[in-house]
Amino acid sequence: MKHGPLLFLGVLSAVLASWLTAVVVPHFQIGNEVPILIEELGINYPLDRAGEAKQGAEIYRALGCNYCHTRQVRQAPLLADLTVTDLGPNAPAARAVVAALRRDLAGVDGSRLPEVLPQPLLKHVSYAAAEAARRRLTNAGARVELTFANLGADIARGWGPRRTVARDYLRDHPVLLGQVRFGPDLANLGVRETNAMRLYLKLYNARIEMPGSTMPRYPFLFEERRLRPGEAPSPEALRGFGFEPPAGVEIVAKPEARQLVAYLLSLKADALFYETFLPQPPAAAAPTSTNAAAAAPPPP
Amino acid sequence: MSVQEVPPPKFPASAPLTSRAPTEVIDRSCRWPVMVLVVLAAGWMLTAGLLSVLAAIKLHAPGMLAPHAWLTYGRLQPAAWNALVFGFASLAGLAAALWMTARLSGAPLRGGGFIVLGALVWHAGLKIGLLGILAGDATGFEGLELPPYASPLLLVGYLLMAPWALLTFARRAEPEAYVAQWHVLTALWVFPWVFAAAHLATTFLPLRGVLQAAAQAWYLQNLQLLWLGYLGLAALFYLAPKITGVAVPSRSLALFGFWVLTLFGSQAGMARYAGGPFPAWMTSVAAAAGALTLFGVGAVVLNGVGFARAVVGGWRESVVLRFAALAAGVFVLTGTLSALNALLGVREWTQFTLVTPGLDLLWIQGVAGLALLGALYYLVPRVMGLAWPRPGLARGHFYLAAAAVGVLGVAFLVGGWVHGAALREANLSFLGVIKRYLPFASTGTLAQLLWLLGAGLFALNLLGMLVQGFRRSAAPVWRAWRMPQPAEVKP
Repeated sequence: MKHGPLLFLGVLSAVLASWLTAVVVPHFQIGNEVPILIEELGINYPLDRAGEAKQGAEIYRALGCNYCHTRQVRQAPLLADLTVTDLGPNAPAARAVVAALRRDLAGVDGSRLPEVLPQPLLKHVSYAAAEAARRRLTNAGARVELTFANLGADIARGWGPRRTVARDYLRDHPVLLGQVRFGPDLANLGVRETNAMRLYLKLYNARIEMPGSTMPRYPFLFEERRLRPGEAPSPEALRGFGFEPPAGVEIVAKPEARQLVAYLLSLKADALFYETFLPQPPAAAAPTSTNAAAAAPPPP
Repeated sequence: MSVQEVPPPKFPASAPLTSRAPTEVIDRSCRWPVMVLVVLAAGWMLTAGLLSVLAAIKLHAPGMLAPHAWLTYGRLQPAAWNALVFGFASLAGLAAALWMTARLSGAPLRGGGFIVLGALVWHAGLKIGLLGILAGDATGFEGLELPPYASPLLLVGYLLMAPWALLTFARRAEPEAYVAQWHVLTALWVFPWVFAAAHLATTFLPLRGVLQAAAQAWYLQNLQLLWLGYLGLAALFYLAPKITGVAVPSRSLALFGFWVLTLFGSQAGMARYAGGPFPAWMTSVAAAAGALTLFGVGAVVLNGVGFARAVVGGWRESVVLRFAALAAGVFVLTGTLSALNALLGVREWTQFTLVTPGLDLLWIQGVAGLALLGALYYLVPRVMGLAWPRPGLARGHFYLAAAAVGVLGVAFLVGGWVHGAALREANLSFLGVIKRYLPFASTGTLAQLLWLLGAGLFALNLLGMLVQGFRRSAAPVWRAWRMPQPAEVKP
């Protein structure tokens, strides 16, 4: 390689090309996104945070919460199952549609279609294909049921009703998506957890409510106040959920903890708009606990 | 130990030697700038090791040191990472890059004083930045945490150091550049604007929304491959022929691999956020580019096979060769796994798991770290003109570093699959997920402890050599001072 300038220009264009695909082109695609008006709710989504929550975002960043918690819900491209519950009054017509949909069962002329149809009829097909098949079968008088096949573990865990999209992060700076899940995802923490006291206790010592949790304690966000004899603890002192402060002492959140909890309660990525549109959102069982999976035993 | 003997360079001689400066002159010109960088790198390696051990312990013993805000995991972890990358790996890489450039160009290193100044500015900037991270001023982006008042200092320090490599290269004795030099020059060229562009796009003039994270992913990929990875590869392409006496088998193959890695490697960054809140084509491009980097890795493998016999033969004598051979092996493994990890099907399993930090650390400690340690073990005796005082410590360091990388790789890659499988089990409570990945994550403590011990051995050895060097230059002065002056001699 006698041509030093060639090396420089080559490397320059290679890295510039990667900057183009990673940042510049996406900038033209999503860089001009603005909060979207959701008329049904009368809000501009994402909502701007209140002042205390904005301060809490700084605490979240400063404590490095994103090193253990992601804030993104994943979902693969939507697949659906289609089940025929009833062939309806015009069974021959419906069976003809089924034969057209499942050539593998029916053969070329539809003669080998079994009497009892497989359940479900279509499995793990793209949503568009399932929807088209549903229309054809419904028009032929059959009753069909369309269910989502792959909402994914994130959604099944109750970490969010849908995948997160670029618009969810418009009000954030820095945008802390997180890369490792040493702890649960927080994209929708404010949806599944509405009890501030529970979050305070989690920050004070996560192992009070959940023995075995590896979340660090943040005692420096709290203040230990000595109570005068006979003095009642202040209403905002930590208590409940299995926590009893030592006698004669109350534990109160410092402003930093209040800001952080206000921020955590504001974490919501659940509004539905056209990028996130799920055709028929199935009624997912809303989990009660913050971290536990949907099937976890309820706390005693 | 074979660090004393210097086999004659056996590169394919492409042009007649014009005016190669004598090796001693080149090494002497490097002494101050390179040794300042090496000493700083050794210090940062200790700091990084200490912080990494603390962070790794906190992952499985969250109650330890909890009352101190500045020692919480979310601050220790980025502090350890930055000390490792910008303290140890980058400074060791700069030392190796400057020395290799001078040696391969056959010209004395220029700009010694500026390089020392630059190293000190970089060091000060990093120190300020690290204290800032521990105080809670981190920017929050993994890999870009240095606070806005510290990152420009690093860039200033860098701009005082790196251009001298180019100016030395410009005075090279032969027009043809060596394979190692392509990698060095690319790394030196890519780093400043990747660093500057990413800090601008995330902190100083932030892009809107998730584009900040896209810029971060782009930066991390280029930092790992084109900066640290290429510094490591440069060291490998320099050390392997020097020690074994075997020429790089195919220059054209090396050229092919170099351009494939440069072109496609820099595109593969978005795999980090596969499935994230981005347009899907971004991760698809990254997956395709990641798969194509396999050709670059393959080119390195084919060239490396040519050294295999010589490596087996020289394994016992040369600790430098052991470091280089292991780094090459880890490069092949990590490069292949990173390419596979960019594929969307694999990413569904490995996303958000221990695989992500595992591969990051393998690039930094396994590829760049081991290769650059080999380079330091090779260049320091030459630059100082002294032998290592304790060759046994160097052998110990090799075994400790090899064990650290091995434990880290196995624990985080296997643990990552377990972690991923647990995350995909929707019925498993999160406590169950923790129980599955925790044994593997805690093994990180062992790996970092081994790495820290190795760093300690290196620092001891280096200290011994510095004392020797000091004695050598101070002894005549001391003797002259102690000698009675002629006037004082009574008749």
